[in-house]
Amino acid sequence: MENYLIAMTVFAGIYAIMALGMNLIWGLGGMVNLGLAGFYAVGAYTSALVTTKLGLPIYLAVPLAVLVSALVGVIVAVITARLQGDYLAIVTLGLAELVRLTASNEIWLTNGTDGISGVPGPWRGVLSPTAFNSLYLGIVLCIIAVLFLVLSRLAASPFGRVLRAIREDEMIAAVAGKNVLSFKIRTFAVGCGLVGLAGALFAHYSSYVAPDVFQSIVTIHVILAVAVGGVGNMRGALLGAVIVIALGEATRFLAGSLDFIAPSQAAAVRESLIALFLIVVLNVRKQGLLPEKTPVYSEEKR
Amino acid sequence: MELVQILVNGLMAGTLLAIPAIGFTTIFAVLRFPNFAVGGLMAIGAYTGLVANTMGGLPLLATLPIAFMVAGLIGVGSDKLMISGLRPSGPLAAAIGTIALGLLLENALRFVFGNEFRTFNIPPVRDWRFGDLRVPPHQVENATYALVIMAVLFCFLMFTRSGKMMRAVADNPALAGLKGINAVRTTDMATFLGMGLAGIGGVLIGLDVAIDPLIGTRTMLAVFAAAVVGGLGSIPGAVLGAFIIGLGEELALLAVAPTYRTAVGFLAILLILSFRPRGLLGERRY
Amino acid sequence: MKLTRRAVLSAGVAMPFIGRTAFAQSNTIAIGALTPQTGAGGSYGPSMVKTIRAVVDEVNAAGGVLGRKIELISENDETSPEAGVRAARKLIDVNKVSAILGTWASSVTTAVAPLCWENKVMLFTVSGADSITQLPHQGFIIRTQPTSKLQSTRIAEFLLSRGAKRTFVMSAQTPFAVSGFNTVSEVLTAAKTEVLGHVIYDPAKATFRSELEQAIKTKPDTIFFNSYTPDLTTLLRELYRLGYEGRKHTMAYAANAKLLEALPAEVTEGLTSMAPSPDVDSPVYKKVRDILGTSDPDPYSCQTYDHITMALLAIARAGESSGPAIHGAVRKISQGTGTKISSAVEGLKLIAQKTEVNYEGASGPCDFADTGDIITCKFRFDVAEAGKNRLLGIS
Repeated sequence: MENYLIAMTVFAGIYAIMALGMNLIWGLGGMVNLGLAGFYAVGAYTSALVTTKLGLPIYLAVPLAVLVSALVGVIVAVITARLQGDYLAIVTLGLAELVRLTASNEIWLTNGTDGISGVPGPWRGVLSPTAFNSLYLGIVLCIIAVLFLVLSRLAASPFGRVLRAIREDEMIAAVAGKNVLSFKIRTFAVGCGLVGLAGALFAHYSSYVAPDVFQSIVTIHVILAVAVGGVGNMRGALLGAVIVIALGEATRFLAGSLDFIAPSQAAAVRESLIALFLIVVLNVRKQGLLPEKTPVYSEEKR
Repeated sequence: MELVQILVNGLMAGTLLAIPAIGFTTIFAVLRFPNFAVGGLMAIGAYTGLVANTMGGLPLLATLPIAFMVAGLIGVGSDKLMISGLRPSGPLAAAIGTIALGLLLENALRFVFGNEFRTFNIPPVRDWRFGDLRVPPHQVENATYALVIMAVLFCFLMFTRSGKMMRAVADNPALAGLKGINAVRTTDMATFLGMGLAGIGGVLIGLDVAIDPLIGTRTMLAVFAAAVVGGLGSIPGAVLGAFIIGLGEELALLAVAPTYRTAVGFLAILLILSFRPRGLLGERRY
Repeated sequence: MKLTRRAVLSAGVAMPFIGRTAFAQSNTIAIGALTPQTGAGGSYGPSMVKTIRAVVDEVNAAGGVLGRKIELISENDETSPEAGVRAARKLIDVNKVSAILGTWASSVTTAVAPLCWENKVMLFTVSGADSITQLPHQGFIIRTQPTSKLQSTRIAEFLLSRGAKRTFVMSAQTPFAVSGFNTVSEVLTAAKTEVLGHVIYDPAKATFRSELEQAIKTKPDTIFFNSYTPDLTTLLRELYRLGYEGRKHTMAYAANAKLLEALPAEVTEGLTSMAPSPDVDSPVYKKVRDILGTSDPDPYSCQTYDHITMALLAIARAGESSGPAIHGAVRKISQGTGTKISSAVEGLKLIAQKTEVNYEGASGPCDFADTGDIITCKFRFDVAEAGKNRLLGIS
């Protein structure tokens, strides 16, 4: 039981990091990125490849994965800079598919649909499974704590204020002399870097990456986390991620108790509940459980 | 010769994409948000047609209006119940809501019909041959249906009161409101029409493939791509976009491995959007 | 039992992390099924669980194993490695299962395998990727699906026996698409016949017309489809329309009863297929037929039937229900010189009398090498005629 709880908390942590990235892009920057699964894959594959093929240590591989994902984020942001929200939504959706196709087809690099197994984890094999699990949880929690502090400061900083201004009205921000494009690209890149970080952490935790991991349902879950927690609120993103994993696991137990229906029906009930939950939360609490608190001006003047 | 055959195949693939792409773009034109539940409604349409055909014994042609009605009604009903309340919070909230709605519909079908594959009961016909060129009769039939549906839609939008109202709202919602056009009725009409067309699209795509609850999800990306290439909100654009994606994916086979077909369609979008950020026929900035 | 579990579960729904009651009661033996119920493998999972459930019910009705009832916990792997890992975590850490049965997608099996060997839980799989049994699994993997090397060799030999001179291969994109083709190609070219080409396609597409035209352009007399049911459905229809009259061959898990039922007879006419198989009049195979209510049970469901039977027999043979116990005993009940048996209940009786047994399963003799791969097995070859499979032979 303990191991299970620890493992699920690690997964919640990985989702929380993605939710923080998504929150930055969507919540603060007001941009849509439905291609999250693609950046998750870029991070995971980068870290997996440089550790297994080049023998790089994990502590170098993970930052490299963040960099590569952020770089891909920059490229995507530059290409799509002129696109409006709805177009961006669909283009990013296609992008995730493109990443998955590349991972499936470029066998020389990614080992194709076979995936890359045996990705090293910190002291995995030396420690007992329980100790490894606990250590990993500690690492993930520390990373989240640091990210949370940095991002909160970022949100309250002039940079964050400009972002919110752009989100509310791009035109006014531009008139006020802000380079809208540069702000957007930087935000998009940092957000994608965070998603890539989550991918790298997933790779070293599960020791295996394959194209099948990075299906669009991952994106749906992260959107769910951010929307439920409260768009624009860092705490909300963390809470949302915990809720998404808890919901996924709780419905698992519920579906398991429905032994009077077929397993595929139980699976359908489980996925329906998750979808319904999102719809209800969106309808009932439009701002999410923890709505965004925009810093009051006087407070900031201190 | 090979090129001609590929062009024929591409055109056929394009007509299949066109109908759901029109549906998607119609909803966008009036409601101004991408309704991602289209995939779910395509699946609903496919299963409706399937039940009408295999259990009801109806011929294919008769299943189309039934699929249209059922998908349209479920589309409007679920929209009123779950999505309409999200629209005031902006297009993104509504769009995300429809992603969840699509997931819900997919699983409702899974619950009722299970995951096993089903197929239409339609006798197979060999291709017509013109020299080396092969043309499958049923796809010509599909293309004919698609063209008739497009023509009917055009007449509806041009000549009926409801159609004119929808166009008015699509052109300028504020002005339409001032003129006293009932916004709710118009949006419902657009959703009904759009989802009904998605339903028909589901049947036509379902004719050739094994139908399971994921049938809509699998095709959805190509439908979105078609609508985006043509310009969101433009019906002629959706048709044009469908042919571009259809042709692009087939022509891609000349250059890359078949497993990259989806990617080529996507690269086509990027290319077109970098020259025309609102697609080929989408012009207005709202 | 059911009541307590439900009470715990309803509490678990409200506060999932608090329901700390022991889920695995010590008086039952917990076995996990991890099959795809949603996603790309969704059509295969349901009947796989059905055969497992049938064996568990039968054994429980006969008094269980070691005097304890079997508790089957079925989880959905969603055809996704991440979801599979989470489900496996729950099975291992919460339900304390000693074996996980039925993983289908190679990616899910590869993701779940390290959890199994680290926690000393036995993993029975039907996945086809050759890389799986090459993992450092310390003997905790048993795979009932023949290796792609073995299958592909037998397919190529079969094609030759049917007179193939010019063969084209079409494969769905899977981990064994390339290795399978290479083996088929080696055998065919060694027999001085032509291999015209290989197309790997994306099975999620709605049409494969242009891919098929590529194949037909080379004028093959035989096309081998390394496919699954949904893509094969589309391929066969399009192949018919194209007017192809040559031979067509595929895997039995693709050309299952449902496909033959769903497609018009003239479309499937002459389609040959191959599956790992027991002897012609194997009682196990007949039983799986009855459980699933079909004349052509799919190979995966036959294999999961064998998974659960072997797991339970191994527990009985070892006298304890842990993963390492199954690990140690599974080869003692599945191979060797013991009495040949064909069902769990029959085997359990003999084991209780200290008689050595040798289980002959629904998917073959179930004899395993140290790698976890089956050593050898027979294959059955069927041909579709008038919408029904007719057995060509077992060899």
